[in-house]
Amino acid sequence: MSALSSPLRAPREAGRSTSLRVGGFSIRVRHRVFVAVAGSFAVLVAVAVWSAATGSTPIGLDRLWAALIHEGTKGDEYIVWTLRLPRLATGLAVGACMGLAGALFQNLTRNALGSPDILGLTQGATSGALVAIIVTGASAEVTTAFAAVGALVTGLFIWTLTRGGDPSGYRLVLIGIGTAAILAGINGYLLTRTSIIDAFRAIYWLTGDLAGRDWKQAATVAIVLGAGTLVIVFLFRGMDALRLGEASATGLGVRVGATRVIALVTASVLTAGAVAVAGPLAFVALAAPHIAARLTGSARSFTCAAICGALIVTAADAVAVAGIAGRQLPTGVVTGVVGGAYLIWLLIAHRKKGVLS
Amino acid sequence: MTDSQSPLIVEDATIGYGRVAISEGLSVDIPEGEFTVILGPNACGKSTLLKALARMLKPTAGQVLLDGRDIHTQPTRAVARRLGLLPQSPIAPDGITVADLVARGRYPHQGILRQWSAEDERVVAEAMAATDITELGARGVDELSGGQRQRVWIAMVLAQQTPLLLLDEPTTFLDITHQIEVLDLCAKLHQEGRTLVAVLHDLNQAARYATHLIAMREGDIVAEGPPAEIVTAAMVDQVFDLPCRIIDDPETGTPLVIPSAGNRGAASRARELEADALVKDLV
Ligand SMILES: Nc1ncnc2c1ncn2[C@@H]1O[C@H](COP(=O)(O)OP(=O)(O)O)[C@@H](O)[C@H]1O
Ligand SMILES: [Mg+2]
Repeated sequence: MSALSSPLRAPREAGRSTSLRVGGFSIRVRHRVFVAVAGSFAVLVAVAVWSAATGSTPIGLDRLWAALIHEGTKGDEYIVWTLRLPRLATGLAVGACMGLAGALFQNLTRNALGSPDILGLTQGATSGALVAIIVTGASAEVTTAFAAVGALVTGLFIWTLTRGGDPSGYRLVLIGIGTAAILAGINGYLLTRTSIIDAFRAIYWLTGDLAGRDWKQAATVAIVLGAGTLVIVFLFRGMDALRLGEASATGLGVRVGATRVIALVTASVLTAGAVAVAGPLAFVALAAPHIAARLTGSARSFTCAAICGALIVTAADAVAVAGIAGRQLPTGVVTGVVGGAYLIWLLIAHRKKGVLS
Repeated sequence: MTDSQSPLIVEDATIGYGRVAISEGLSVDIPEGEFTVILGPNACGKSTLLKALARMLKPTAGQVLLDGRDIHTQPTRAVARRLGLLPQSPIAPDGITVADLVARGRYPHQGILRQWSAEDERVVAEAMAATDITELGARGVDELSGGQRQRVWIAMVLAQQTPLLLLDEPTTFLDITHQIEVLDLCAKLHQEGRTLVAVLHDLNQAARYATHLIAMREGDIVAEGPPAEIVTAAMVDQVFDLPCRIIDDPETGTPLVIPSAGNRGAASRARELEADALVKDLV
């Protein structure tokens, strides 16, 4: 029951679109966005399957399938169900959380640099984790909780500093950069105050890694992702209208203050959940929305940003497992190198003002 | 002169930013079905009044009534279906197309389930036709001329389908042809039955197009009423510190403000003398 939008009545868009209308439900699907979302999702599935089938001990598609439907050998089922799938699921959810958080921050600040890495949330999570590791010498669970609290507190802190002001443009970004610098200093200090063993654990955490993640951790991130997605479904249209500026958005009936607070809290929670479980995987939250914008031709596609985040993390993790000269790498090393290189390429190759900001 | 018919009423309101009050004890009626123009020197509080009317600023005392009820107690989306706002410097997201921008005007009529109904599509097409931008639909807003861009913004506000329109300086930064084009569009919208409130800078254009004038100075209302009644040499001097003569506009018969030559002559003579002295000093 889909009606193609009539070419005579419909205003021409940048690219074609199809209107789907069923009863009281109606939506406009832009063909380019649809292709971008479907295409990146297909690539994501392929990478996920490939990484599950290869890994440090390649088992191939046949044995992977057999293990998945519980008809494989005990060894294969252990590899697939206990080692690979939880790690894969964690990576997918972490990447999606980071992609969404980055997209939220970029929309909120109307700035291409709006991302939890730049705004200090990642550093806040790190401070939390370092306090847990160094001061309390704590378990992984406590470290996770402290990291989440660190990200949330940082999010609230930068929000408090911008209160009453418009967070778009450079205002929130500059406040975030300052906050990030202060936190980086604190983190450095914390590292100097500890034993060499704790410092090693801390540095390892700082790099970010998915090795050894279990179903419990995957479930934690998945819940955060689900909650964040639900909020974004309700928030999306108001955020879109806010891109027209505070005045026009108010005129259109957007509750500007509430929309901004909810967006900031949601982005902080998504960041906290992802970083707490996987560590501060560098550049994912910054790069994913940019890639999504390039693919869809629009800065509005949260779906594509989530898929791109998941894709970056999953692909980086597959590379990390394959490693260099037989040695596995922490996932964060790969996302840092790949994401950073991508960003530089982006800035050099696309200086033209466009969908990025 | 409180008229119970007025859709928008400011009642004894204090409006400002933080602790700074721009207008105190301000009372204004926006008469139904009229084209109201707000006039006044720069920084006298015209935009501030418009922001209060559009619920962007909340009065610290007094209130703004929309259809007889405090505008701030009404759901903001419901208000957005009654009253549209074109701010002084609206922001177009990078790379947005004309049709996409106009479609944003449908926001207060849409929801999570209803994102792009047949009616939305029809109203957007109508708004674009009314502002003569149908041909520009696929163009980027940033590629347009100032006049075209202003028509696009007006189309966006029209797509909101509100009986009340507030426009802050819709003609500023446009050349004279495009100013007239936008004002003619406003006049058409007014004739179709909408209530318009616009901030304008040009006295003569205001006198020609407005059916109701509000003249402001330093946050207060100095005069209000039909242009033919209130545009006098005394009023212009009081509001703008500008000695002038008023004659009938030969095209429309509306008041036409002719600034006095005496003053300007004196000022430019003084400047010439100064320049002469400077040249002598140099030589
Ligand atoms: N956002 C703001 N914050 C603080 N002061 C403002 C703000 N906007 C305007 N003002 C001040 O309020 C006064 C009236 O401004 P405004 O209503 O914009 O004048 P105009 O009549 O030119 O539209 C000016 O002195 C201006 O500096
Ligand atoms: Mg103004």
